[in-house]
Amino acid sequence: MDRRHFIKLTAISGTTAALTACGNPENQIIRFIPEDDLVPGVATWKPSICPLCAAGCGVIARVMEGDAEVFRNGKPGVIRMGLVKKLEGNPDDAISQGKLCPRGQAAIQVTYHPDRLDQPKKRSGERGGGQFADISWDEAIKELVGQLDALVAANDQASLAFLAKPRRGRRLELVADLLQRFGAKPPVTYELFSDEVLRRANSQSFGAHQLATVDLENAHYVISFGADFLGTWNSAVAQSVAYGRMRQAGPGARPKFVHVDARLTQTAANADEFVACKPGTEGLLAMAMAAVLNKTAGAGDYAPAKVAEKTGVPVEKIERLAREFAANGPSVAIVGGAPLAHTNAAFHAHAVNTLNLAANALNQSGGFSFVPQATQAATRPLTEILDAAPKLLLIDDVNPVFASPASWKVAEALKRVPFIVSFGSFVDETSALADLILPDHSFLESWVEAAPESGSAKAAPSKFGPVMRPLYDTRSTPDVLLDVSRKLAKPIAPALPNTFEEYLSAPTPEVRLKPDATSAPMARLKPDATSASMTWTEPQFDGDAAQYPYHFLPFASQALYDGSLAHLPWLQEMPDPMSSAMWCSWVEINEIKAGELGIEMGDLIEVTSTQGSVRAHAFLNPGIAPDAVAMPVGQGHTNFTRYASNRGVNPIAILAPATIAETGTLAWSATRVKIAKVGGPDKDGLILFGGATRERPDWTHGRGDEH
Amino acid sequence: MAYRWGMAVDLDKCTGCEACVTACHAENNIPTVGSQQAARGRAMHWIRVERYYEGNFPDVRVKFRPVLCQQCDNAPCEAVCPTYAAHQNEDGLNAQVYNRCIGTRYCANACSYNVRFFNFFNPEWVKPLNLQLNPDVSIREVGVMEKCTFCVQRIKAAKITAKAEDRGLVDGVLQPACAQACPTTALIFGDLNDPNSRVARLSHSPRGSKLLEDLGAEPKITYLDKQPWHEPDTY
Repeated sequence: MDRRHFIKLTAISGTTAALTACGNPENQIIRFIPEDDLVPGVATWKPSICPLCAAGCGVIARVMEGDAEVFRNGKPGVIRMGLVKKLEGNPDDAISQGKLCPRGQAAIQVTYHPDRLDQPKKRSGERGGGQFADISWDEAIKELVGQLDALVAANDQASLAFLAKPRRGRRLELVADLLQRFGAKPPVTYELFSDEVLRRANSQSFGAHQLATVDLENAHYVISFGADFLGTWNSAVAQSVAYGRMRQAGPGARPKFVHVDARLTQTAANADEFVACKPGTEGLLAMAMAAVLNKTAGAGDYAPAKVAEKTGVPVEKIERLAREFAANGPSVAIVGGAPLAHTNAAFHAHAVNTLNLAANALNQSGGFSFVPQATQAATRPLTEILDAAPKLLLIDDVNPVFASPASWKVAEALKRVPFIVSFGSFVDETSALADLILPDHSFLESWVEAAPESGSAKAAPSKFGPVMRPLYDTRSTPDVLLDVSRKLAKPIAPALPNTFEEYLSAPTPEVRLKPDATSAPMARLKPDATSASMTWTEPQFDGDAAQYPYHFLPFASQALYDGSLAHLPWLQEMPDPMSSAMWCSWVEINEIKAGELGIEMGDLIEVTSTQGSVRAHAFLNPGIAPDAVAMPVGQGHTNFTRYASNRGVNPIAILAPATIAETGTLAWSATRVKIAKVGGPDKDGLILFGGATRERPDWTHGRGDEH
Repeated sequence: MAYRWGMAVDLDKCTGCEACVTACHAENNIPTVGSQQAARGRAMHWIRVERYYEGNFPDVRVKFRPVLCQQCDNAPCEAVCPTYAAHQNEDGLNAQVYNRCIGTRYCANACSYNVRFFNFFNPEWVKPLNLQLNPDVSIREVGVMEKCTFCVQRIKAAKITAKAEDRGLVDGVLQPACAQACPTTALIFGDLNDPNSRVARLSHSPRGSKLLEDLGAEPKITYLDKQPWHEPDTY
């Protein structure tokens, strides 16, 4: 090749490369706007709120400059912007106090998830088939406005329904406000692990329809009836911080923590004493202890001898626990988890309240109190839209198709709804049924607010602005709702602010929700002994005990919670605290019982209820009752991003449709099952990070551990 | 030696929640390997929480034990490395130089605590998960051994800031990601050379012991045993 040819070729190939680069939209630079407060390589910290559970932990986000591939006006491109690199607890926040749980640490992956929806979508195939086509925001909003206008034209505003998570705060308040002005009924809320029965009991016992803040830090004797308060229940970070301080009380003042349950949960594993109690009888133990405290133990249904028979807890132990509880105050009792998911849950909630009253724990140091709350928007239970399908359903990031028993037939009910709009950031089992998806910003990209129901002694309402610019062509859902309300043929909300930010700036109507407001001394109500829920009733279990010999204990996964976090890879690969299992479902069977049944670690087990069956691999657990089997909730998604889809099984699906009469919520502990070994271990079946469950195998009293 | 970094782990306060595990992933750009590789024992957790059951239901107890690199003074991993990739730095940390490592995995075999992890593949961050990567921490490639560094990037940054401001480091302010996240403050990090630091005092606690102490690796992590409960009248 001579020199002339070489120059020619270089010119041609160079031009081609340049032209190709122009054609590749990923290399187009849309704009380059450095943010004023960002210096390359230097981090700034901005406050926000973790949205993954109802606790409302304050976080700080580490923001650094970086190049992000973004999506604007239907086109991809690269811009330099502030990017969140890590989340930490906010040291100035009354709830998180500078700490976070593993789920909060992983919340950053919600924003950067590769399967996050980047723009509005419209269903293009069959409903539920998962085929969506891109549409513009203008078209999408026009479509939603058209649907709402059609309801107004038919004078059928009541056929609009809104489905959301039961989160306290101004977002749901805004939704309720808009629905009321439109002429629709209040929003419908659903969550699997509902504490509504406890709120109701607290309302009757103490006049507060909310969960209490327990002063663990100053308590000297804590007894938990099933509450996984260090793991997944209520405000786990705030409770763990207080628990850490309780454990530091110093020599001579070592507090005692007792846990009552049928399975050694992560919280129970930390107890000084674990008390095994038959499922559905926990409240009897609380009543018996209260009876000993009140010196009325000799007579009645709650005499220790009678209670011992039902609960399986020996008389001497009941009397000793009661004596210790009385003698080592300040003492406090907590109830949560499985006891609140039996058909007689209201009794357990009232029984623990009675025990707390006997210990005089209300509004005491080392007892419990109620944080002042703004009045909550009225809501409706999920059953209302299952019985009578609305004509237009709006869904805000809640997945009842996954998180409800198959026998409720939620998917079938939703398929009867003529038009469904979803605001979620991901396609999941519920939003796959939508006709229109209007994806929300992630929490790091939008205004966030929280009015925590519990977790601190003082009211701690907070609100923060976005900490980074949106990556995609998404819009804040409250802003979309306000926008739609203005665009209706007959606008409904002239008085409402234009944006959620303005809405949040408006003063809170309730004076008592000022920051630092403390709990007002409440009238000590005498529990009404004649009230129906205060009388002992036997728990009802679905499935005949002879045919279905095991209590089925689904539990909230420390990593995946109720399954809504199964899409985050860090949480999928986080070993479960009690089994070290990752990326899979498993069935926990008592170690000795399994030996009797010839079941080995990792064997494939079929768990069958009257409603159906699921298959998962066995984990032989020394810490579960021989007449119970447990499964973690969270896996078994059929359509929820690349990390969660078609992985493991969903134990909720085989639950009986039993509900708690007082609240209509799901009694998820009320199912019996049978088990059968259907196969041996499989190398991709039970994936454990750790090895053996015994530190010193020769210490085992029963079956050895040779895995 | 100006600093000698160590840790105390209060087993009485560790609840096994694993906030430390996720925090470590976020801080140190630790990749997830997926279910199939995890099933082959290739999941990487620089810190893990071990659980040990004692007894059987209903008389059953569990002990949680967070295990991370013990930053041994007499580290078995360092002596076997043919390329000096594993070495002791001036602050007493068992440091790993990634671009010296040739992947013999001798160090992982020698380590008594099973806290060194090998990159069997190039790590994958599906876009835009790459945007969460911490720019202060290098990404390890295939064939390289990696391990807990006590968040050496945070130590470096704190030392530089302290030097610029002409002061020493304040005990308790500098924390690795695991200790910073720990809700119950079960992990206490600090300078063992400072006799007034919390970690130095706790390292002499009568509750303290070292993990597999009799192997002679001289770890710098002290485990504080669980305390029993007594009724006050029995004291």
